[in-house]
Amino acid sequence: MLANVFTKTSRDRLTGMLIGAVAIAVMLWMGTAVYKDVDLTLYFETMPKAFIELMGIPDGGDAAGLAFGAIYSFMGALTMAGFAISMGTASIAGEEMNGTMGLLLSNPRSRTSVLASKSLSMAAVVAAGGLVLWGAGYAVPAMLGVDMSGYHIGALVFHMSVNAVFYGLVAAAVGAWTGSAKAASGTAIAVMVVSYLATGIVPLVEGLDGLAKFFPWYYFSNGNSVSNGIAWGDMAVLGGLSVLFLGVAVVGVNRRDLRSRTVGASLIDRLREHPMTKKLADRIAGSARVSRIAMKTVSENQGLLVICSIIMFYIALMMGPIYSFMDEAILSIAGQLPDALLAMIGGVDMSTAEGYLQAEIFVITGPATFAVLTILVGSRAIAGEEQKKTMDLLLANPVTRSKAISEKTLAMVWYAAVLGLVTFLGTWATVLLGGLDIPVGNVAATSFLLTLLGLVVGGVALLVGSATGRARVATYTASGMILFSYFVFSFMPLSENYAGFAKLSPFYYYLGSDPLVNGMNWGHGAVLAGLFVALVLLAMPLFERRDLR
Amino acid sequence: MTAAIKTEGLTKHYGTTEALIDLDMEVEMGEVFGFLGPNGAGKTTMIRTVLDLIRPTAGRADILGMDTHVNAVELRNRIGYVPGDLAMYPSLTGRDTLTYFANLRGGVDWSYVHDLAERLQSDLDVKVGDYSSGNRQKVGLIQAFMNRPDVLIMDEPSTGLDPLVQREFQAMVREAASEGRCVFLSSHTLSEVQRVADRVGIIRHGRLVDVESVEGLRSKAIRSVELFFDDTVDESVFTSIPGVHDIRTNEHSLVISFDGQMAKLLEAATSHFNLIDINSHEADLEEIFLTYYVDDEVSV
Repeated sequence: MLANVFTKTSRDRLTGMLIGAVAIAVMLWMGTAVYKDVDLTLYFETMPKAFIELMGIPDGGDAAGLAFGAIYSFMGALTMAGFAISMGTASIAGEEMNGTMGLLLSNPRSRTSVLASKSLSMAAVVAAGGLVLWGAGYAVPAMLGVDMSGYHIGALVFHMSVNAVFYGLVAAAVGAWTGSAKAASGTAIAVMVVSYLATGIVPLVEGLDGLAKFFPWYYFSNGNSVSNGIAWGDMAVLGGLSVLFLGVAVVGVNRRDLRSRTVGASLIDRLREHPMTKKLADRIAGSARVSRIAMKTVSENQGLLVICSIIMFYIALMMGPIYSFMDEAILSIAGQLPDALLAMIGGVDMSTAEGYLQAEIFVITGPATFAVLTILVGSRAIAGEEQKKTMDLLLANPVTRSKAISEKTLAMVWYAAVLGLVTFLGTWATVLLGGLDIPVGNVAATSFLLTLLGLVVGGVALLVGSATGRARVATYTASGMILFSYFVFSFMPLSENYAGFAKLSPFYYYLGSDPLVNGMNWGHGAVLAGLFVALVLLAMPLFERRDLR
Repeated sequence: MTAAIKTEGLTKHYGTTEALIDLDMEVEMGEVFGFLGPNGAGKTTMIRTVLDLIRPTAGRADILGMDTHVNAVELRNRIGYVPGDLAMYPSLTGRDTLTYFANLRGGVDWSYVHDLAERLQSDLDVKVGDYSSGNRQKVGLIQAFMNRPDVLIMDEPSTGLDPLVQREFQAMVREAASEGRCVFLSSHTLSEVQRVADRVGIIRHGRLVDVESVEGLRSKAIRSVELFFDDTVDESVFTSIPGVHDIRTNEHSLVISFDGQMAKLLEAATSHFNLIDINSHEADLEEIFLTYYVDDEVSV
């Protein structure tokens, strides 16, 4: 498997992709099982066709259709694209950041051929994940005795794969031009999230529906491939854009000096260089930054915090005005949507202001943004330092391992608190802008519970990282946990048989009490806070008793 | 007097790999102890175990009379450490890095830090990620020395240093020892150990093969004997002679590491072959070292 760049890259990434695909397949199985228990006929008869298509649900209205819409078109597509972005980022920028690019290029390989091998490998790994999903797409309904006639699973998986490769190449192109892994993954994720949201939201606003075509996600979801088969026209657009970005990447990687083990200049570094801000920045970046472990950790991911805050604030800020402009007809339809469909957005009534804000800000965007931040901080806290080999030196100082964990935890709390505050301010502002009738206390309560949920997710990453010393394992576990807990909270209650399981999900203690409507539920808050503290406390002995890597 | 570093039966296994086997060793205050061994011999494992970064499978280690696991935090105030694979925070400058560790330790005299930086010609205003490996190593050395620790433990500390800086570093090591502190350094650079160390421990396949003073090791009767013949010779004639450790065969000559009776060696050389010339001298540390590692017959 180490024969060449292609096989090595594929080997490195295949397991992760397959685990992701299997996890999605398991969720498909759970989703189909739940939907199977629910009588869907009535819903599908009353639901407008336009809305069904918009949500990526195939015609016909049965368990498999809903499950594919909810699990494959949404979670599966985002997961695959996220994976491709990770590979695209690693292809050039990642190797530069690791300082391995020089060594790789000292072999008789051109930059173009390295990029081509890595891009090909990304496509192959995505295809392998697609194959698993394709197989599962037939196997799962068959096992559960659900009718599959009229569905084009292969077409859906093909759409998902092409879509994923596109975002991967966006990341590769940005990485190839900048050599910065952060810029590469940040840009590609931003393009993905914004275009995903825009494709969903823009058509709801009268007169703006044509705008959706400017967002790449449109070409993935527009054709409703699971019902209608492959939309070759849309695929050609995504394919063409992919080739374009590959070309951009080739030009980018060939035209600049490669970096060796780069050190990015952070915002604070730039301020430090400027005479006007030097004194203050020196204080922040120098003496204050290294005053203790927590402060140093706080200073490390400023860039990500800023990006997450902007995304959160921007999305929150948009929603109030959009809601107030939205067509009343669509709102009334949204009010009548079946539970099964509403489960995807947390089972809220989207015709109310609270329901709309919850669906658009707090169900997916909020937890996802928090998870990105806290999982990164949590996985880097212990495992990251070990993998970067700085832990030896840190612990050669008079610092206990538990102290290292508590300091890092303090930093994580700070990160989550800042993002929580930004979420609160953005949502409060949107409530005021949209003239919505939601008490500020309820906005604060929801933001606070979201912050606690973010900490629980980060706590899982910290725990796994502390126990294993492996940042990637920590990241995967925590990401899987949040995805599953969202799933359990959203879909299990649809079936009476499974409804009780929802309480096992941290999500339940975040949104289960409808905090935007009912205000703070201190009991639920205490559960989340207790869970977070328990995760951190458990991390301490697990880290304490093992060898450093 | 309390030993600076003391290990008893220190053993470390990684799965089925025995990285460190039953290591008993004592290093005194005021001495420079060189820890020699080839790659993978267990040097780094020993150091990381003693520092409580990894935990022994069996046995124990004390530093300054305190258990290295139980009193780990208290001890770290009194230990300076340079890891073998030195990694620091790329986005911090050298000065920020030292400030960070100084804050974690307390009691750092900055005028001393500046002295050290000057001696090692280290520019502390550069980001760690932008340093060459040698310059990064200098910052690693400064952080180890800066709080004047009682015990300095350094894993391959001269890696990447140029000869001038190496000399300055060796002077710093000798000064620390002359102030009554202990310096424990692992190294491949035999000449360096020869220059600075008082005693040497040799480790091989996880076992401590020998601990000797540098002088003692030199004065061991091991000699390098070179025998010249008029034709090619069969070295097997010599392998059974007591005291023969290692034989290297050239075309018409043999180089033998030898600490037995010379008469027996000469008898074998003259009775089977036509001996033309003989050259014998005291082995230098390098040869002694090679003897320990190349000769599989050496008792451990």
